Amino acid sequence: MVETGHFALVLAFVLALVQFAVPLAGARLRDERMMAVAEPVAITGFALTALSFAALVMAYVQSDFSVLNVYENSHSGKPLIFKITGTWGNHEGSMLLWVLILTFFGALVAFFGRNLPATLRANVLAVQGLVGAAFLLFLLATSNPFTRIPNPPLEGRDLNPILQDIGLAVHPPLLYLGYVGFSICFSFAAAALIEGRIDAAWARWVRPWTLAAWLFLTGGIAMGSYWAYYELGWGGFWFWDPVENASFLPWLTGTALLHSAIVMEKRSALKIWTILLSILTFSMSLLGTFLVRSGVLTSVHAFATDPTRGVFILAILVMFIGGSLALFAWRAQALTPGGLFQPVSREGALVLNNLFLTTAAATVLIGTLYPLLVEALTGDKISVGAPFFNMTFVPLVLPLLAIVPFGPLLAWKRADLAGVSQRLMAAFGGALLVTAAAFVVSDAASVFSALGVGLAAWLVLGAATDIALKAGIGKVRAGIALKRLAGLPLSAFGTALAHAGLGLTVLGIVAVTSFQVERFETMRPGDTLDIGAYSLRFEALRPFQGPNYTEDRGHFTWLDGDRELGEIVSAKRVYTARQFPTTEAGIATRGLSQMYVSLGDADSEGGIVVRAWWWPLVTLIWIGGLVMMAGGAVSLFDRRLRVGAPSRRARPPKAAEAAAG
Amino acid sequence: MTFWIIAALLTLAASLAVLWPFLRTRAGRSDHPLAHDIEVYRDQLAEVERDAARGLIGSQEAVEARAEIGRRILRLDQALADDHGRAAMPTGRRWAATAAVLVVPVAGWALYMGLGSPTFGDQPLQARLERDVASSSIEELVARAERHLAENPEDGRGWEVLAPIYMRMGRYNEAETAFRNVIRLSGATADREAGHGEAIMAVAEGLVTEDARAAFERAVELQPGHPKASFYLATAEAQEGRRDEAAERFAALLAGLPVDSPWRGAVEQALGDVRGADAPDQPGPSAADIEAAEAMSPEERGEMIEAMVARLDDRLRDNPSDTEGWKRLVRSYIMLNRRDDALAALGRATTALEGEPERLREVREFAASLGLEGTETR
Repeated sequence: MVETGHFALVLAFVLALVQFAVPLAGARLRDERMMAVAEPVAITGFALTALSFAALVMAYVQSDFSVLNVYENSHSGKPLIFKITGTWGNHEGSMLLWVLILTFFGALVAFFGRNLPATLRANVLAVQGLVGAAFLLFLLATSNPFTRIPNPPLEGRDLNPILQDIGLAVHPPLLYLGYVGFSICFSFAAAALIEGRIDAAWARWVRPWTLAAWLFLTGGIAMGSYWAYYELGWGGFWFWDPVENASFLPWLTGTALLHSAIVMEKRSALKIWTILLSILTFSMSLLGTFLVRSGVLTSVHAFATDPTRGVFILAILVMFIGGSLALFAWRAQALTPGGLFQPVSREGALVLNNLFLTTAAATVLIGTLYPLLVEALTGDKISVGAPFFNMTFVPLVLPLLAIVPFGPLLAWKRADLAGVSQRLMAAFGGALLVTAAAFVVSDAASVFSALGVGLAAWLVLGAATDIALKAGIGKVRAGIALKRLAGLPLSAFGTALAHAGLGLTVLGIVAVTSFQVERFETMRPGDTLDIGAYSLRFEALRPFQGPNYTEDRGHFTWLDGDRELGEIVSAKRVYTARQFPTTEAGIATRGLSQMYVSLGDADSEGGIVVRAWWWPLVTLIWIGGLVMMAGGAVSLFDRRLRVGAPSRRARPPKAAEAAAG
Repeated sequence: MTFWIIAALLTLAASLAVLWPFLRTRAGRSDHPLAHDIEVYRDQLAEVERDAARGLIGSQEAVEARAEIGRRILRLDQALADDHGRAAMPTGRRWAATAAVLVVPVAGWALYMGLGSPTFGDQPLQARLERDVASSSIEELVARAERHLAENPEDGRGWEVLAPIYMRMGRYNEAETAFRNVIRLSGATADREAGHGEAIMAVAEGLVTEDARAAFERAVELQPGHPKASFYLATAEAQEGRRDEAAERFAALLAGLPVDSPWRGAVEQALGDVRGADAPDQPGPSAADIEAAEAMSPEERGEMIEAMVARLDDRLRDNPSDTEGWKRLVRSYIMLNRRDDALAALGRATTALEGEPERLREVREFAASLGLEGTETR
């Protein structure tokens, strides 16, 4: 089975080469059959990669230590779930997952893309094949997960305990679905440049792919943020860590791409923007892969440290980014300009949005790469932390957030800004009220915090206004309004949900950064710690024996005055196999806020250092992410995304609908 | 065998995926790419109608949108009329098809033969542990015993079986724990205490520590004159530089040993070493060699040892009267598990030392103490 997996991986590589060369030549020669090769080859390539991945998972489940990768990253005593997730908890396995998702997306295009123009489909799959071939070669040449050991040992070296967590089961696959999903947009962009023209069908296709990738990436980032929050033991939800930035960069450009694609679909404008953003977004994904996988960063995520790998990925990076940008420089002029529009219009607003988002992405990119550059040139290790990003990124994003509610209300081509402002008056008034309320409630602590809360309210109310206006609420009778509300296209709800989700995340971030309470004290059993409106009573420290760890559990009672709200258990854990200590924070939720308790070192007199935080509205940060995902999903199910096939090949409507999903 | 069949089937499937489109009798007609655009624009027109009907866009906007889409359709019709498309190239296609289909099996197999290990079967842990005892390696037997003991940590007999195996495998720390468990669970005997002492000593790299000495003393208490314990107690004295006491103890031990005891040779040699304090230095691996050996992988280390033994063998052909050399050669072969070579070396020593019966006896007795057949009397 293991060798079958290895063989299948080699075959998948060869097929990827065929998938690149033959359809590309076919599209050039207008040869039907050569172009048609792309589809069965893409689907077979995915099947082979899946077989290969299954073989590796099997080796992990069976603790087959004759596979070097299993020996180095697994242990026969691990629970089954962590044996399975351990497959992608290491460099080789996670790259195999990356390639699996890449070929999966290729197969989806092959399967659902029957009604795309033949040359476009052939070119897209060819580019996708080239990306796949590059990464399969990378796997086989530098990171082969199927290397064998002649005399296998009887026990493995176990997985890093920090990664033995359910978060690891979900976070990388989601993130990779996002990262790799943008490869489809990239392939579409490259195909358009190769052909030198963009069909109307092009934009219709790129939009759902962008949406799907963006949705998964949003989920992956939110998941990773929550995982860091509860696992790393001090409650930060975002660290501006290079690895996080690596996932945030494609999100920023991907968000811009999503909006451009809408304009392109509706108005055939912003073609150059869309192509460029497709290239940039996937480039950011590749850059992220390079940063994490090459080991140039030293953080929890960097488990690969072999320089040959870094150089290999860098070569892939240069080839794809350089190649596609060169192609862009060469062919972009050939693309016919689309519909014209006035500066004040939906299109104009989205151009502004793109400018803000790409500039924000650029600042994050600088903040991420600058320390690496300094280290490479001078050898000094510097870190660009939150202050840099607070001074550059935040001022760029605030005005963008302030204009978000205008966007969906502006008309295409030319819009009436005064009219739109008038229609947003109610939302604006509401936001002002919320600001004032926040200012009073927080005892006039900070004008900025109150304004931040107001901004969040503005986003949510703006989104609601959009829907209300579209349904005609207030203008027509309630019954008609309700009917119109039900008849609204799903993408309208998607937009509103995504924008409202953004507002919720902003509210969470503002509340946490402005109104959090942090206490830090050495406590003995019986001691009470006041924190915000609540208090914590330290009951006892008791030892506990887990399956593969031992821990000291601190038991706390959470009190509101004299009323007991519940128990919080926070622990210091040591994984015995590797003598690896971790902190297991105690978290209790009340409404949307959380009490977070983390244990420090014990002192000689029976006391223990306790750090406790009161995070008001903290869960909104991730709930906002989920709402954004929901918005993306709703929009994705909008039937109007269907690509119309020429009528002589028209199929029954059911099949066409399935093709749109 | 199954692997080759599966691999062949996979190759076939992959090649077919490439071949399939070329085989189809009627190439699927592909519509002109521009025809797709018209369809999209029709959809857009329909959407404008729907939106206008729902009142989502004003009538003025609807008119404009309709006009714009209409203009696009007109442009497209013009382009369609101009473009007649290019013809396909059948000869090139045949050539490309052949190359594409062939590259899959050829490149695939060439690459795999370079990268893969086709002769390796799967080795799931459970199956390895359940395999027939006779064909199991010592490591597998030990792992099985360890699993058994992890479930039944109070099984004294299990620990007793495992302890000397750990010693032979060089896993001294585990051996020490195992002996401690045997004594705790099954009670102390002279053999167990002596074994425990030996394990502690091995952990301390041959030095008889206080703990080891205490264990040996308990063994001698349980069975006065216990050969192993007495031997190491004497060794301890020798290590501390109390040569006379050590010699005394060795001599007493030798006197008490039966004629056929496997310990005789070792004790006699130790006695000789203690008495002849200025015995010539034994040529052996240099400190640098040992240091290098520690940094090596097991395979490399094995190779280095083999090379050293071969050198010794050669040297003895030139200088056959070296008693110590013969002893070391025999011992080396035994440790390398090359019993036949050990016997051959013993035979050569017999021939070479024929004129010197004293020295010959010394070599033979030493070999006997290692359990070498022919002179074995155990």
